[in-house]
Amino acid sequence: MREVLFAGFGGQGVLTAGLILSQIALYAGNNATWMPSYGAAMRGGTANCTVHYGEGPIYNPGQQKPDLLLAMNTPSFKKFSSLVRPGGILLLNSDMMTEEPTAPDGVRLIQVACNQIADSVQNARGANIVMMGAIVKLLGDFSYDMGLAGMNDMFRKKGKSKFEEKNTAAFQAGYNAV
Amino acid sequence: MGDMIKGNIAVAEAAVRAGIEVYAGYPITPSTEVMEYLSARLPELGRTFIQAESELAAINMVLGVSACGRRSLTASSGPGISLKQEGISYMAQMNFPAVILNVVRWGNGLGSLDGAQTDYLRETRGGGNGDYRNIVLCPSTVQETVDLMYEAFDIAEKYRCIVVVMTDSGLGQMMEPCEMPPFREIRKCSWGLDGTYQVKRPDFLGRNIPGESDAYIRKVREMRENEQRWEAVGLEDAEYVFVAYGMCGRVMTGLVSEMRAAGQRVGLLRPITAWPFPEKAFAQMREKAPGLKGLITVETNGEGQMVEDVALYAKKYGLGQVPVYALPYVCGVPKDDVVKADFDRILSGEIKEVF
Repeated sequence: MREVLFAGFGGQGVLTAGLILSQIALYAGNNATWMPSYGAAMRGGTANCTVHYGEGPIYNPGQQKPDLLLAMNTPSFKKFSSLVRPGGILLLNSDMMTEEPTAPDGVRLIQVACNQIADSVQNARGANIVMMGAIVKLLGDFSYDMGLAGMNDMFRKKGKSKFEEKNTAAFQAGYNAV
Repeated sequence: MGDMIKGNIAVAEAAVRAGIEVYAGYPITPSTEVMEYLSARLPELGRTFIQAESELAAINMVLGVSACGRRSLTASSGPGISLKQEGISYMAQMNFPAVILNVVRWGNGLGSLDGAQTDYLRETRGGGNGDYRNIVLCPSTVQETVDLMYEAFDIAEKYRCIVVVMTDSGLGQMMEPCEMPPFREIRKCSWGLDGTYQVKRPDFLGRNIPGESDAYIRKVREMRENEQRWEAVGLEDAEYVFVAYGMCGRVMTGLVSEMRAAGQRVGLLRPITAWPFPEKAFAQMREKAPGLKGLITVETNGEGQMVEDVALYAKKYGLGQVPVYALPYVCGVPKDDVVKADFDRILSGEIKEVF
């Protein structure tokens, strides 16, 4: 069973990123849960969600010891990095780090300039999708094709297939960045 | 398996499929997605959506729909449900069936937006003034929420009682895959008013109160006898039985299975009806678990609410000597490691029994 924590400012697409990963998991035949943190949050505030996926029932959908933390900004990195389980991965948006980050012992630190990469594939709002490509590769549970197909399937069902080409480019760029 | 779907949306769609013709409500976090979804969904099906001017108005609209023998829904949370109590008590008195969704949020007064189990005592004791009981269904997954909401209307009409579906912020806001049941045919209960003035008016001044009460209590007893639901794990050999419902029930289902696999003699009683409380499970426990050393509730409130029912039914079924503990986690989703550590603190004697 996997646990992934997605955190950032509201508007950076972290809740959507979590949803994409959970849909990829379902697409691949796994079970999944998605749980947002819930507070009196607003646009520009912090947002986070926890995704669990794997085979069989998922009992505890809450935040425990993530295998991977995606921190899209410095406050999220500071708040959550200590939660990552030993052997886990800390994936940071290096475009939004205001100080030099360090990882807890036994945790792999990986930085991806996802805003720059998103710009370079003409998908400035796709920084979260860039990170999705990186996450699929880092966790290694789903192939590139499976990850991409699962993501595109989700947006198609939401009636957003017109962004498919741009999302594919962002996903691919993120996959290749790690 | 379906796609990811939010608990609040799934439960709203389940009510649509169960045949609600009207939704009347007033928004409040964390239940608002229910009415947001229905505001588009019901008109699409030619049914009625009303954003009422207040919770009190909404519950009285539900009362009106029920008087006509039709299905409707209202949903709210904590303080919003408090405001509805006048209408709920009236419906109980008039034997009008209704289904009410409480997406529980933590706290007294305004409370907070966190998921919690702070409304247990209110919901299981009726909630408003009087001497009535509501059936309280407390699912622990999105699928179970859908299944129970779908069935809730049948139960309400069977007894002409109120059924409360009690979820919380966690179950309402989380997403997981689930399957939707088929659409029910919309029909009217035979006793519903239809504008033809054929239903006899009650004689308010000539009422026989003891007779009325007796009839109501007979119904309560029937509900209590027939509607207890629960899920049990490991009662046959457990030394410690956890009792947990809703989000905590789901967490404990996983933990108990993990602890049993590690050789610990623990069991789980997961109430699916908070009222009627699954007391029959206590009769089974007395038979099956002679070595029972403790009953432990896991709840998200300040010091345990359900723990009182567990102690009462332990006494009723001859388990009065078994210590009853509470592990209350205030709000949110209890963490597996924390619950396991607290169980160790019970074993070491650091955490004392409540009863």
